[in-house]
Amino acid sequence: MRRKQEAARRGLLAALRADLWSTAADSLPRMRGPRPLARLPHVLVVLYALVLGLFPDGEGIDPTVPLLATAQAATLVAAMFRPLPAFWASLAVVLAGARTGMTYLPQTLTFPWMVEPGARLPRFQHADPVAFPWTGSGIFLHAGVLFLLALRVRPRAAAETLAISVLAAAACVVLLPEQTGGTPVLAVPVYAFAVASGMMTRLLRTTRTRLEAQEELTAEERAHRTLLQERSRIARELHDVVAHHMSVISIQAQVAPHLVRDPPDELRDNLAGIRENAVEALTELRRILGVLRTEDSAKDGQAPQPTLDRLGELLANVRGAGVALTEEIAGEPRPLAPGVELSAFRIVQEALSNAMRHAPGAAVTLRLRYRPDALTIRVVNAAPAKPVTAPGGGHGLPGMRERAAMLGGDLVAGPTPDGGYEVSAFLPAGPSGKGDESAP
Amino acid sequence: MTSIRVLIADDQAMVRQGFTVLLDAEPGIEVAGQAANGLEAVAMAAELNPDVVLMDVRMPELGGIEATRRIAARTGTTVKVLMLTTFDLDDYVYEALRAGASGFLLKDASAAELAQAVRVVAAGDALLAPAVTRRLIAEFTRLSAGPRPPMKERLGDLTERETEVLALVAQGLSNAEIAAGLVVAEQTVKTHVSRILVKLGLRDRTQAAVFAYETGLVRPSGY
Repeated sequence: MRRKQEAARRGLLAALRADLWSTAADSLPRMRGPRPLARLPHVLVVLYALVLGLFPDGEGIDPTVPLLATAQAATLVAAMFRPLPAFWASLAVVLAGARTGMTYLPQTLTFPWMVEPGARLPRFQHADPVAFPWTGSGIFLHAGVLFLLALRVRPRAAAETLAISVLAAAACVVLLPEQTGGTPVLAVPVYAFAVASGMMTRLLRTTRTRLEAQEELTAEERAHRTLLQERSRIARELHDVVAHHMSVISIQAQVAPHLVRDPPDELRDNLAGIRENAVEALTELRRILGVLRTEDSAKDGQAPQPTLDRLGELLANVRGAGVALTEEIAGEPRPLAPGVELSAFRIVQEALSNAMRHAPGAAVTLRLRYRPDALTIRVVNAAPAKPVTAPGGGHGLPGMRERAAMLGGDLVAGPTPDGGYEVSAFLPAGPSGKGDESAP
Repeated sequence: MTSIRVLIADDQAMVRQGFTVLLDAEPGIEVAGQAANGLEAVAMAAELNPDVVLMDVRMPELGGIEATRRIAARTGTTVKVLMLTTFDLDDYVYEALRAGASGFLLKDASAAELAQAVRVVAAGDALLAPAVTRRLIAEFTRLSAGPRPPMKERLGDLTERETEVLALVAQGLSNAEIAAGLVVAEQTVKTHVSRILVKLGLRDRTQAAVFAYETGLVRPSGY
């Protein structure tokens, strides 16, 4: 039993030691408000310390009083940086002051600079002298230290410092009754108030910071998810194109023996092998597509995956929506690899729809350039007639970038000097495209 | 017996030519025409009145499903549609069945499977690929918990025997199998099935199977 008590006592002491005998403190939670005002609290603390430290409201009996006041003001300033050591220092000043720093309280609590020079104020000396820590300045300086401390340490540690301060005050009342006159009792609610408001501020700010962090995380997560969705959509479309080609191979391999009279067995076997491989590949592709398929894949509709052949259709639709669209196609148009065609179509589609969404009524120019090694796409829109805040924008760009990157190309987008917007893509494309005449 | 006339609708010339070669090589099947998109398919189906249309799901101008719907909607038509897909069991296929397709086939099916499918669909006395079709219908009726039309009434027109036959049709049994199960002549089953189709206003047994699942006559868990 005793042992247990002993262990508990030791544990408590260790906890207290860990809480209170440390120079570490949490960084001050960020203040809301404009950044130029970020140093304002520090300035206020210093001013508070200067006023209370340099003009202690006491008519010193003891010459140490101004010294004590200055020392405690210094601990208050230090509390901004090292709250726990500052607390111990402040407590030391309190205890030292309670023993020696006798002073009278003036009846008027006017600050010296508010008094007209030369005016003779009627002074009513306090009946009993009081020790410095229990004067207004003393109480409020220590309370200031407690407040700053409560901002920066865990609530439990703050409560412990409050308890220690209260114990110290109580000890002074009990041990030095003739020097206190009961005023330490007044100090207790002030200390408690300081600690409580410090804790509350800390709690509010940490909650808010945590909330902001959470929101940031959610936004990040959402962006990440959008990107993944976009990626799987692109992957689905590309696999889809491959699957269609694969099924054509499987048909052709079957048809080929019919095209020659009496095909040799070697040819038959060979073609059967091609067909078998194509069918196996298709089975795998179906599995992959099953994984990539999402709810919105049903919206892909019954149309084949688009290629640049269907660009005319798309542009007609855009013009039909009332957009002044100019198209310029430079270079020799040629069929490109299906993936390039598909991505080029999607990029143009997305860029045009962005232009329509963010700059309704603005003229749009589409430039396609077939270079020997690549296809470049530029979609530029003029400044919108009036500024628009389009709902839910920005999802298209990562998708477009992703498409370009998958093909080894890149895509840049940004505002133009005249207030419009430009999307430029570079898609590497070899000289020869697909041999087939039609798209899947 | 006259040969089965087939119209091939696919946007890829390579696929159209391939299927034409494969089907023309089959005895009793001839390719009557080729359509490159859904609109052409609808027009040619009306003009040529083929027995079976091989219809690709994805086509420009008009998709295969909508084309199927239009072909099936023509009154008095006997044209059967066989959907061609690259992917099985997706919602297009189910949508196609609801639109009036009699069955579906993967594009990479072998020549023998292709010919068999055309024959089954043309004859109309069995579901195409019963197990797969049934699974597809069951899966999608379970998923699409849409509003149930007042079909109970229409089901009420059927005699007890006809309801029984409908349930067996929905389970993928052929006329011959149903006849064996009920110990009646196959011709009797045939009569029952055509009565069911007339009473319910359905085109073929695939539609009957979809109907049976959607009305809840057959439960998806029943297989």
